[in-house]
Amino acid sequence: MMKILETTPDRYDKGIGILTLGRLGKAYDRLTSHIRKGQKILDLGCGTGALTIRAAQKAAKVKGIDINSQMLEIAQNRAAEANLAQNVELCEMGVAELGGEESESYDIVMSGLCFSELTEDELLYTLREAKRILKPEGLLLIADEVRPKSISKMIFNWLIRIPLVTITYLITQTTTKAVKNLPEKVEKAGLAIQSIKLSKIEDFIELVGRRPKQEAK
Amino acid sequence: MNLLKFIGVNIVETLLRVLPFPCKTGLIKMGNPDRNSPVFLTCNYHLTVERVKRVLKGIDAYLLIANSRGINVWCAGTGGIFTNHNVISVLKVSGIEELVDHRNIMLPQLAATGIEVDVVKKKTGWKVIWGPVYAKDIPAFIRNKLKKTPKMREVEFPLRQRIEMALAWAFPISIILALIMIPLWHEAISAVIFLVWGLSFLIFVSFPLYSQWLSSEDKRIGFVFFDFGRGGFQLILWGVLILGLIVYSLVADDFSRGFLFRWSFITLIAVLLLSIDLMGSTPVYKSGLHEDRLLRVILDEKKCRGAGFCEQVCPRNCYEVDRNRHIAIMPRAGRCVQCGACIVQCAFDALYFQSPKGEVIHPETIRRFKLNLIGKRLVKLDKL
Repeated sequence: MMKILETTPDRYDKGIGILTLGRLGKAYDRLTSHIRKGQKILDLGCGTGALTIRAAQKAAKVKGIDINSQMLEIAQNRAAEANLAQNVELCEMGVAELGGEESESYDIVMSGLCFSELTEDELLYTLREAKRILKPEGLLLIADEVRPKSISKMIFNWLIRIPLVTITYLITQTTTKAVKNLPEKVEKAGLAIQSIKLSKIEDFIELVGRRPKQEAK
Repeated sequence: MNLLKFIGVNIVETLLRVLPFPCKTGLIKMGNPDRNSPVFLTCNYHLTVERVKRVLKGIDAYLLIANSRGINVWCAGTGGIFTNHNVISVLKVSGIEELVDHRNIMLPQLAATGIEVDVVKKKTGWKVIWGPVYAKDIPAFIRNKLKKTPKMREVEFPLRQRIEMALAWAFPISIILALIMIPLWHEAISAVIFLVWGLSFLIFVSFPLYSQWLSSEDKRIGFVFFDFGRGGFQLILWGVLILGLIVYSLVADDFSRGFLFRWSFITLIAVLLLSIDLMGSTPVYKSGLHEDRLLRVILDEKKCRGAGFCEQVCPRNCYEVDRNRHIAIMPRAGRCVQCGACIVQCAFDALYFQSPKGEVIHPETIRRFKLNLIGKRLVKLDKL
């Protein structure tokens, strides 16, 4: 469903609010409550800047990256309107270019609805890179659509999603892919899970991961 | 067995051609590639991947599948879905950089509408080589030392592709009409299905006979159905069908107004549905539904240095390079389908789009937002 919104970035925010029944805003508020003043933060797939601006409001230095130039333009305007432009740096780049970021340079790496847009290879690469660029004890914050684990919930989820997915598919000929086994992948990348909050039907996750202080030998 | 599977995939996915079919992205090894083997890249539309794999059989090479969300190279490239980012991503993430010593990658030429050679080079060090339009020409392209003949650069619409399009339209439309007719007039379902398939083949197989009268130039979208094909190709086709219907009624001596009315209506719907995007279903015309069909490519002779990027990527062979004057010329500008590849690829920004009112759309805008302006394709040009 995100695709129809993404190809028309102007309507992205309004549409996403309706679609997620407001839960996204609350999830973002909870995630950004981990942010402290003056921290250095990277927002993966920042889109129109929902997470970026929340972080900047906490006086953190945020770098937002996205591959959609038009969304970035909207994010830039919103940051300027909120007088936060000095705290925000926006770059048109994909997660595959994270190799250019310095190791252990960020306090927090965060991402809202970005992992479900990535291919499997990209997702694993991104988690590895996130671990590399996080400082020890640094946090990884994720809010995203995930695939429920229990079969009954998965079927229920499908029933809800089928009409939406069908309409989106017909109009935009694309669809999103909920992430499978996200917590396991985070752990496999060498990050510790600090907390997980799943929605009632287990189709939406808020995950806090942490880079361990000392590397496990 | 493999051949059977290939044929099956081709049939099923041709029938469902209007829908995207994503497949796994990443790296595929063809044969026994070594550190000097060529690297090809294509999109993750499943049918494309299967066909490219078939062509590459017997060649030791690496094939990278980049994410285009299951949409074919040309549509995804032009629509801002298959971009630099997808190419950079698969180069960085697939592990290809550890497998080969060179940094040359062959991309399908039709991706030139969306992928900027300079950006890929700057961000990854990989040099893009534009391969042929069709995968079937890859072996000849390699034998020819990576030089393309004009024919390898050009899209065509041969009988085989026309039959594919006829199938791709007939299948979903006949199903939709049949479903609608279940409660309304179920006795006629088989006749309608026959009508839709027959019409679809008629429209696409006979395409070369009437295509010279199709034109998307200088037309505004008014009543969208009748706006393309001077005079309305659909109206003519419908008229012929109605005439046949009347003749049939007279000959069969079965003239009833209700019968005639119902069939006239159904044939009209079938003709309209099948030809609603007739021009967009061909690679040789711009879709009649897209505002950007009104754009014209303009060459700024002061900036042109005759390097010939345009000639290499134009899928309609509009360009030639005057090697004496070091300048590109457009002897076949009338064939242009406004794909924008030449504008995106010109390293000297010597080409740009001009709208009918004279507004200029700069190369920078096209590169940044692609030709559909990331979802704003139907926005009127004067609002840009």
